[in-house]
Amino acid sequence: MGQFIDGPLWTFSLSVFVLGVIWRVVTILIAGNRSDLATAKGSAGKGAIRTVFSRFVPERTVATRGRIQLIAGYLFHLGLLALLFFAKPHVDFIAERITGLSWSAMPHWAFIVSAEAAFIGLILLWLHRVLNPVTRLLSDLDDHVGSILVFLVMLTGCLALAQAFEPLRLIHLLLAELLLIYFPFSKLMHAFTFVMSRGYTGATMGRKGINA
Amino acid sequence: MAKSIFLQSDNRKMHAGWLLLLLLCFIVQPFDSFANTSESRGIPSAAVLNPAAELWRDVRQREQLTNGTSQVKGVDSGVLINAYGDQWRKFRMQQLIPVGGYLLLGIVIGLALFYLIRGKVAIEGGESDKKLLRYTSYEQLIHWFIASIFLFLAISGLIILFGRPVLIPIMGKEAFSVIASACKEGHNLMGPLFLVALILIFIKFVRRNIYQKGDLSWLLRGGGIIGKKHVPSNFFNMGEKTMFWMLVLVGSVIIASGFVLIFPVFGLGREWMELAHVGHAIGAILVIGVIIGHIYIGTIGMEGAIEGMKTGYCDLNWAKEHHDLWATKAEQQGEVISNDKVSRLRDVSSAQSLGGHVQEE
Repeated sequence: MGQFIDGPLWTFSLSVFVLGVIWRVVTILIAGNRSDLATAKGSAGKGAIRTVFSRFVPERTVATRGRIQLIAGYLFHLGLLALLFFAKPHVDFIAERITGLSWSAMPHWAFIVSAEAAFIGLILLWLHRVLNPVTRLLSDLDDHVGSILVFLVMLTGCLALAQAFEPLRLIHLLLAELLLIYFPFSKLMHAFTFVMSRGYTGATMGRKGINA
Repeated sequence: MAKSIFLQSDNRKMHAGWLLLLLLCFIVQPFDSFANTSESRGIPSAAVLNPAAELWRDVRQREQLTNGTSQVKGVDSGVLINAYGDQWRKFRMQQLIPVGGYLLLGIVIGLALFYLIRGKVAIEGGESDKKLLRYTSYEQLIHWFIASIFLFLAISGLIILFGRPVLIPIMGKEAFSVIASACKEGHNLMGPLFLVALILIFIKFVRRNIYQKGDLSWLLRGGGIIGKKHVPSNFFNMGEKTMFWMLVLVGSVIIASGFVLIFPVFGLGREWMELAHVGHAIGAILVIGVIIGHIYIGTIGMEGAIEGMKTGYCDLNWAKEHHDLWATKAEQQGEVISNDKVSRLRDVSSAQSLGGHVQEE
């Protein structure tokens, strides 16, 4: 079982992830958009770039009314990003199994801070999703499966932190593989599509001369 | 030729034998003083100076703590054996684990018996068609946040503390070692989150948990759980307020001791670690015991108790029976709303406020 998780299943899940993400992104890109016959009043490119970055800072009303989502969202995403690419075991794993290239891992204290931040963020976000009437109605099975799967991957990763027991590492790897397989077919794709989504809105508005 | 070789060989063996005897004399000679013991000379044994015993007395530090010198720089690096460690180990194995285990087991059995005798505390007047807003979304959020963190810490902590006597006989040492390692790592990592959750809870709920007039009479009348008569209470009753302060105060001890245990970098020695462990475990067992009671009331013990934390709203009759001082005040201020309005607030108006997105879906 361990050899299967470490070998064929890893190759399969990574392939599904890479091909699935490429397929989803290409599908969106080739869908194209309606041609705007009106005379451009501004630059679509500039508008797209501006919006991709300006959306990182929310409007005042959003920041006030959705303070929990804002704080928890940043804690989770930044924490997860740091864990994924700069945790020592991940850097070693990526270098050994995917890229062949290594980079500096973050120190242990930074790893702990990142993990704490990611857990606080994810738990608060999911509880908010379930408890708030609006987000509860907006949420479907995909949202819950995605949240729970990411939580389980993070949790099992932390449980295997001692790196002393092979079964714990394999459970973490198995859940990570399930996440990779699930990723392209779920809303988790927003990790890639948010750029296109913001860019599209920014380009449309930028062409009309609106600072969106 | 062969004979002379054998003779030479015999001579060599003889020389070697003499050399060995001489060597033994040198080795044995220093032990002569020990062999010449008090018993053999009829002198009381206390008068004998035994260098080995003295050495081990210093190492074991039975009389007083001795700090030696060492090339290793660090806390307690000059202490070879900490005598208090044995006391701590015995306390943990012989008192803390059995007493703590039986205490928690006793609480569970006690609540089960209480449930069998008393049953579920029903809303006497039955559910009304009116409700009161008891907790906001944010209050529910931080309650369930601390609840989820606490449950994880409690379960992993109990496995760490009671796993050896309880789980090893069931699953064996190898499987338990995997679970114990996982629980330790998870417990250490989730521990600091409890501090964050407790701060959020403290800030939000402290004002409503300050003791006030009427709380003492609630306590003196057993909170109304014994007997059939309800006792007047504010937004939180004396029991809930006491649980809050216990969670804050004992929780602070648990957090502080937990930080000492996770981060030995603070420069604290073994004795502090042992003290922290004892404080952490006793505090945790106490709080877990109280929270078991809290969960009992919220789930099977009392009708309508969990509604406030699930939906934000509680039944008006429930509020009048259990928190009548608050309910009366809220009623006078016109805060009572109908069930229909609550349904609209929770579902329909939410959908409308989203511009019909939900209906379209």
